[in-house]
Amino acid sequence: MIEVEGLTKRFVDKDVVANVSFFVPEGEVLGFLGPNGAGKTTTMRMITGFLPATSGSVRVAGLDVARDPLGVRARIGYLPENVALYPEMRVEEYLRFRAAVEGIPHGEVKARVEEACDRCMVGDVRRQLAGTLSKGYRQRVGLAGALIHKPPVLILDEPTVGLDPRQIVKIRELITELGREHTVILSTHILPEVEQVCRRVLIIDDGKLVADGTPQQLRSGFSGAAEINVQLDAPDAEARAALEALPGASNVRGEGSGKFRLAVDGSADLRREVFKLAVARGWVLLEMAQTVPSLEDVFLRLTTHDAETAHEGQLEEVANA
Amino acid sequence: MRKLFALVQRELLAYFSSPLAYVVLTAFLFINGYVFYLIVAFLNNPSVQAMAPLKLMFGGTIFFWLYLLFVVPVITMRLLAEERRTGTLEVLLTSPVSEAQVVIGKFLAAFVFYLFLWLPTWVYVAILASHAKIDFGPVWAGYLGIALLGSLFLSVGLLTSALVRNQIIAAILAFAVLVVVFSLGLVENLVTGAALKGALGYMNLWSHMDDFAKGIVDSRHVVYNLSLTGLFLFLATKALEASKGR
Repeated sequence: MIEVEGLTKRFVDKDVVANVSFFVPEGEVLGFLGPNGAGKTTTMRMITGFLPATSGSVRVAGLDVARDPLGVRARIGYLPENVALYPEMRVEEYLRFRAAVEGIPHGEVKARVEEACDRCMVGDVRRQLAGTLSKGYRQRVGLAGALIHKPPVLILDEPTVGLDPRQIVKIRELITELGREHTVILSTHILPEVEQVCRRVLIIDDGKLVADGTPQQLRSGFSGAAEINVQLDAPDAEARAALEALPGASNVRGEGSGKFRLAVDGSADLRREVFKLAVARGWVLLEMAQTVPSLEDVFLRLTTHDAETAHEGQLEEVANA
Repeated sequence: MRKLFALVQRELLAYFSSPLAYVVLTAFLFINGYVFYLIVAFLNNPSVQAMAPLKLMFGGTIFFWLYLLFVVPVITMRLLAEERRTGTLEVLLTSPVSEAQVVIGKFLAAFVFYLFLWLPTWVYVAILASHAKIDFGPVWAGYLGIALLGSLFLSVGLLTSALVRNQIIAAILAFAVLVVVFSLGLVENLVTGAALKGALGYMNLWSHMDDFAKGIVDSRHVVYNLSLTGLFLFLATKALEASKGR
């Protein structure tokens, strides 16, 4: 549905987006992750045609953005990062205007506005001036405008920013539902959101694509998957040797007083083996826990630049947002 | 066509829901009313040569030009600059409307508002018609001249609004360009070369309006105004295309 090939955007002498390629099949909800300034919005703007690419190509539903911009625009519903509405228009007027601009036949406009209001939960403010709406309502009116023409492709730049927790849940449900009929690209800072609604995740950092896969794939592909923390009532040297001998265990690190941390290769679950080992040797198992890397770990690992500790702090902030 | 209509309608709504529109309208009525009073008082003086008051009204005084040079940038400054500043342009230009449609839609809305400004001046025509027999030929031609001049000035304003994101700067730029467009023709009286004099004369907006007010609809004046309007609208479209995303 969306084919992005070698997409590059150069501002002055810096590649804000550098040679990004990916493909989004029909009906997929794709999460677009990255720290602030990584190039998410720039990429999305190039897909919508609002920003011309320096090089590379974007095709939406088989149409090239550079050659047939209007054709692409007709197939896209776009919610920009900063939702801007005309302050002097009432919500209903605004949605009718969006419908007309999208070329919806006059007879259908009323029903479409009705439907969009219902879906995005803005029915109660339909007579209100857009300039007086709260951030949460503005966001939802913007979303209603983006999907009023039922576009095959929805591009949503941080759709849940500024919403209260109840609205966030509703909007995530809505996006999941939209994913059944539309192809959706969703950029966000909120990692649990990606896990909940996206079937696939792209991580972009410093203009480059650094990861592409399902949330599960990204987690398991990251530093050999899980780690086990174990505490045994046993002599340290003996316990370490026995743990190292377990098939699938690696990088056994002793932390003193019988505590060990071992990495588990592949998808094996070594907790049973550790338990059996303790039983066989007559050691008391004081504590055992398996930790699976979260998407947050993956995100931080991929987008943190070792030299820049300050940057790291900022990223953690982003990941925790 | 429906998309264009929607764009014009939205823009007109924006005009009539902004206080600026009413300030412009009020000032326009006040100044025009005062000028009309001055003209009638002046022509009532028996020692003054008899003239058609509306001929003086339509471009015959400096008030007409001063006001037009000020008011048109105020009408147009918001059009594209504000959409760019607030970000609504991003939504508009990712909808299936072309940049040309956006420019034409905005232009038509501004033009309708401009004509609306002039609507109350028919009261003066009615006042004169109730006291004397007036020839409606020059009146219609005068209004045609005003419409043509308006379209040229508005297209300049739209271009400068497409270039910047600050309305005030858009207005100042428009004013500067309009002063050049307006005074270019006036230089006619300062040069001696026949060819240059002829060329500048062709661009003399004051004498164009003079002709219209006399009832002369010279196709050269019509072509000059319309072709410049087209040129500035084309440039505004190109400016909008080039500045997208910035």
